[in-house]
Amino acid sequence: MKGRYKKWLIALLVLLLAGAAVIWWLFNLKYEDTATVKADHTVNAMEFIKEFKQDMAAANKKYSEKIIVVNGTVSAIEMADTTANIKMIDTTNGAYIIFAFQQQHLNEAKAMKEGDQVSIKGSCSNGAFSSILEAEYITFKRCAVNQ
Amino acid sequence: MKKTILSLTMVLAAGLLFAQKKTTTSAVVSFDATTSLDALPKAENKTVIASLDTKSGTIAFEAVIKSFTFSNPKIQEHFNSKGWMDSDQFATATFKGNINNLKEVKFNKDGTYAVEVTGDLTIHGVTKALDAKGTITVSGKSVKVNSDFSIKLEDFKVSGGAIAAGKVAKEPKITVAAEFQ
Repeated sequence: MKGRYKKWLIALLVLLLAGAAVIWWLFNLKYEDTATVKADHTVNAMEFIKEFKQDMAAANKKYSEKIIVVNGTVSAIEMADTTANIKMIDTTNGAYIIFAFQQQHLNEAKAMKEGDQVSIKGSCSNGAFSSILEAEYITFKRCAVNQ
Repeated sequence: MKKTILSLTMVLAAGLLFAQKKTTTSAVVSFDATTSLDALPKAENKTVIASLDTKSGTIAFEAVIKSFTFSNPKIQEHFNSKGWMDSDQFATATFKGNINNLKEVKFNKDGTYAVEVTGDLTIHGVTKALDAKGTITVSGKSVKVNSDFSIKLEDFKVSGGAIAAGKVAKEPKITVAAEFQ
């Protein structure tokens, strides 16, 4: 009877330790450096905008939260205290893609200039229509220069 | 004909020179819902669209929910899930309001001005009136808008076990920073 009780106690302890290990693992998960993550899609910036303009819902379903490499020309760099966002704009309609860089890759964005041909890899957040700008826009997060 | 073209050019030039609506696509909105039990629920969105009309005092923001970045992928996944922000259904959060004390802000004079803003905040498909205090800092052509305020998650029908368990703050602090050139 005593031996059986001991076995149950050990099993419970193992379960508790396993549970604690899983919780510790979940709490300490971090995003990988986007530069090292394999891309799901590679696209041309203007074609990408066109796809969102044609069918926003379908494009969001296809690209949202996926890692995408976007090849295109830098139209603008928006710098603020803690940010350096890169924009690729379709000048025919004002629609644009905006890339917010991962902290460790911020200097790569700061080094870019308007007119540069670049390849940027990042996590596509979503495409939406802006009532303020009256144009479509697609936002990216955790970006890095695609090597 | 020449006079007409000249007049039109002058009107256009004047319009550009005295443009009152300023916009940016790189405003930053962050929120902090951390508690003593959990330091993870906080995030930042660096691609928020904002506008400021210096004549009427209208101020507006649009933030894509999925652009809020967390350090932890699991927390980000929970944040966007149906049980929380349901970002597939409610893709953006918006604010549209007015500066109540616009007359006290001199957009042609460098300085930091305290402002009070009243407007409508829409999150998770729910619109609520919001009063917030902030500052406008004018420095040459640059106009910076900053504000900190708290919201009640239950007002926006955002609920979950983690809130009841004290792992997510019931009233997260929101920080807004926009720079207009």
